[in-house]
Amino acid sequence: MILNKVLYRSVTVFDLIMVAIILVLAMVIGKTVSLYLRRFLKEKIEKGHLEILVKIVSYTIAVIALLIILPILGVKLSGLLVAGGIAGLAIGFASQSVIGNLISGLFLMVERPIQIGNTVNIDGTVGIVEDIHIISTTLRTLDGLLVRLPNQKVFTADITNYAANVARRFEYVVGVRYSDDADKAIEIIKNLIKQHPLTLKNPAPMVFVDSLGESSVNIIVRIWAPATEWFGVKTELLWKIKQALEKEGIEIPFPQRVVWFANELSERGSSGS
Amino acid sequence: MFGTYNAPLNITQEGISLSVQKDGKNLIYHRDCLGGQVEKHLLASKGKILLNPVEPVNRPKALTPYLLIEFEKALLSKPKETRTIFLRFPLEIGVYISTDTDFEILDIFSLTNHKFTLYGDPRNGVICKYWKSPVYSTIPSLSTLQEGIIELTITNTNSHWIEVTKAIFNAYGMKVYYNKTTASMKANINIKTKETAETEFIDTPLQKGMKKSLEIYASRKISVVKPKFIMEFGL
Repeated sequence: MILNKVLYRSVTVFDLIMVAIILVLAMVIGKTVSLYLRRFLKEKIEKGHLEILVKIVSYTIAVIALLIILPILGVKLSGLLVAGGIAGLAIGFASQSVIGNLISGLFLMVERPIQIGNTVNIDGTVGIVEDIHIISTTLRTLDGLLVRLPNQKVFTADITNYAANVARRFEYVVGVRYSDDADKAIEIIKNLIKQHPLTLKNPAPMVFVDSLGESSVNIIVRIWAPATEWFGVKTELLWKIKQALEKEGIEIPFPQRVVWFANELSERGSSGS
Repeated sequence: MFGTYNAPLNITQEGISLSVQKDGKNLIYHRDCLGGQVEKHLLASKGKILLNPVEPVNRPKALTPYLLIEFEKALLSKPKETRTIFLRFPLEIGVYISTDTDFEILDIFSLTNHKFTLYGDPRNGVICKYWKSPVYSTIPSLSTLQEGIIELTITNTNSHWIEVTKAIFNAYGMKVYYNKTTASMKANINIKTKETAETEFIDTPLQKGMKKSLEIYASRKISVVKPKFIMEFGL
């Protein structure tokens, strides 16, 4: 029979068909389990955790399928272990960066300095984490570009995660004229912050005179906002502060310098005579 | 104001103007409140409109499911003692449209000023909707649509006097009841230590005859994982 026809060593056509069936089954099971995991756990687990769980399950299914297929194809797993030592050395050298990325990827998944959906700065690249794969991490930059970073680079880079905490602080420096009432300016700014719904009540905002500058009295304004909202609040409030101060007759001065002429008096005297 | 109405309808109360008017074969929903306007076309020739108070964590933005009520004056709770107090909570009004089988949220609005706060530290804490309330020993009479009443039963399971300045509630477990004019909730706070307590809601009305509000979070099919809230960053 054609099914019993030996193709290579002891591998028959039947074995190949079995391998194909197992592969298809593994793919179907992998896809189905992933689909159901996503569907059932979508609202119960954070998106980042869910993606990691789905990946772990998918890879486990793939490894189990591989372990079933290899003996059918005549590859002895015990022999593989012996050969694995030598082959591993060769492969290790050849795929140093791949293995490095893989291990870094695993460490990233365990340590989780970044999560899917976080806005981060990785080695100067600012963007939103789209996905953390086993080998690489993809970011969507704020101008809409897709950047792929090898996990080894991500793992060893300086990472700033703008969304790791639920709240963050931003700051303005508002300069007012020396002739203006700084206390009144502080009161106006505090009222504006209080009225804004997305500025946090606690930690309380701080508004104080920080320095006496060359051209202005500098007021520092420090405001806490939910991490998801801070940028909108920051862009909105600054202009409102400027408008509110101007409405009360308090102006933000241009840089200025008072120049005294050494011979001013004598010139005035001569022009007046 | 709360209750079920048949479209077309027209309601004007406390600065709220709400209407559902015929527009050919369809309906137009219009709401005007505190300068904010919403207009939606409803592709139906008739329908029932339900107005009821909803979990007060949706406006101005549904940033968090947690509501923090700070007490105007701190409370000192006697060891091993249970006492009931009454607080005010900010009211948000949900407008639902019904088909024969279920209700769908159409709009949510509020007459109150909104504020958020952080409970805990930025790393481990949570963002909460903020409200400050006086503490009452008896049910206060409220005559506006700005606030509802929450009955809070405080149980101090500790063997020391403990000061309580706030309570945090999880909207996922909120059970809001209403009659024509008032909205209410009932909750417990169990004080464990000087720094920790647990809050949960009781699914019973404050007064007889009150109806239960439709739960927004339940209607969005978000499963109730943690209806309780554990206050672990101080009371």
